[in-house]
Amino acid sequence: MKITGLISLIFIGGLLFYGALDFPPWGDPTSPASSHLSPYYIEHSIKDTSVPNVVTAVLADYRGYDTMFETIVIFTAGIVCIFLLRSFKEKAPESRMYRHIPTGIILRIEKGGKVPHESEYFEHIDSVWIPYDLVIRTTCRMIIPFIQVFALYVIAHGHHSPGGGFQGGVIMGASFVLFAIGFNLRSAIKQMSEKIVAFICALGVLIYAGTGVLCMFFKANYLDYSALAPLLRTDPVTARSHGILIVEIGVGMAVMAVMVVLYYNLSSAGKHDEGL
Amino acid sequence: MMVTIMILLIFGLIFFAGGAIGIIRFPDFYSRLHPAGKLDTGGLVITMSAFALYTIQPFDLEAIITSIKIILIVVFVFITSPTAIHSIVDAGIRAGLEPWEKQEDK
Repeated sequence: MKITGLISLIFIGGLLFYGALDFPPWGDPTSPASSHLSPYYIEHSIKDTSVPNVVTAVLADYRGYDTMFETIVIFTAGIVCIFLLRSFKEKAPESRMYRHIPTGIILRIEKGGKVPHESEYFEHIDSVWIPYDLVIRTTCRMIIPFIQVFALYVIAHGHHSPGGGFQGGVIMGASFVLFAIGFNLRSAIKQMSEKIVAFICALGVLIYAGTGVLCMFFKANYLDYSALAPLLRTDPVTARSHGILIVEIGVGMAVMAVMVVLYYNLSSAGKHDEGL
Repeated sequence: MMVTIMILLIFGLIFFAGGAIGIIRFPDFYSRLHPAGKLDTGGLVITMSAFALYTIQPFDLEAIITSIKIILIVVFVFITSPTAIHSIVDAGIRAGLEPWEKQEDK
């Protein structure tokens, strides 16, 4: 079985290299991409879409179909992480650590022992991360809102400056990861449960694909946002700009959710019980 | 004005140079983190305040907004950098790394 896998891998890799040999040389000015495609984008993107950032215009409008499948690749990565790592079997751990909050005494309860309820007196803590980090918690609480506002800014301002759905989504996901590191994994899951994360992840992809389907209802091609002009009450050129924003929001949601899912599963080995 | 900016810049660069030497020359993990934290807070505050003063040379609204943005960068680094150093030191202690002590000459 291993041999067949290796042979097929070498065969497909060889095909890939054989196909890549036919590409024009890197940065060749006479290649079709440089002589026909790039000048068109540079000259027409502001006229067609009224987006000053050419990269965003190409990414989300001219090549929107490509970007949709990039988003689906990220979505698939999140799903695969859940399938590979998540263990739904409730297996009691060797021991658990609890802190008695009024006195600060830490109890270690072995397997089979009586476990106290989570209340204002007892708090379940990680067995590898014992001290109460007041400095880190306060800083996280102070910084996270700014990080999230900045993430929204990066998503919404992708038309004019470097940024967009992917970058903003990663920053947004990082704010949740920071919360999980500064506090603990359980309180992060309490804030944003696994189901909600999976829902947002799928919703982001749905927004992207749904925008394309909506364009088809207005008798235009898939992902041709200029057809949305009557719906958005603007002219077709501005409608393309707004369509890019809608799509970027979808991308941002999917990327953010996948970041959070990856962190939840990798840090706790799929148990969602104790982690960093 | 220009003289103040120059003095601040030179002072900040001396701070940075001293910190960079300190990161290399100090004997162990914890004492190396000490100049690393000082660099990001002290040195950055001095040099960035020089930049903020430099940008408001033509005193108009646009320059003031740019200057405020620079000051915001300083504020965020001032909050986050010492926290990062603090958590690294915490992790080192938890991992059982002994602090360096001067060896007695025999």
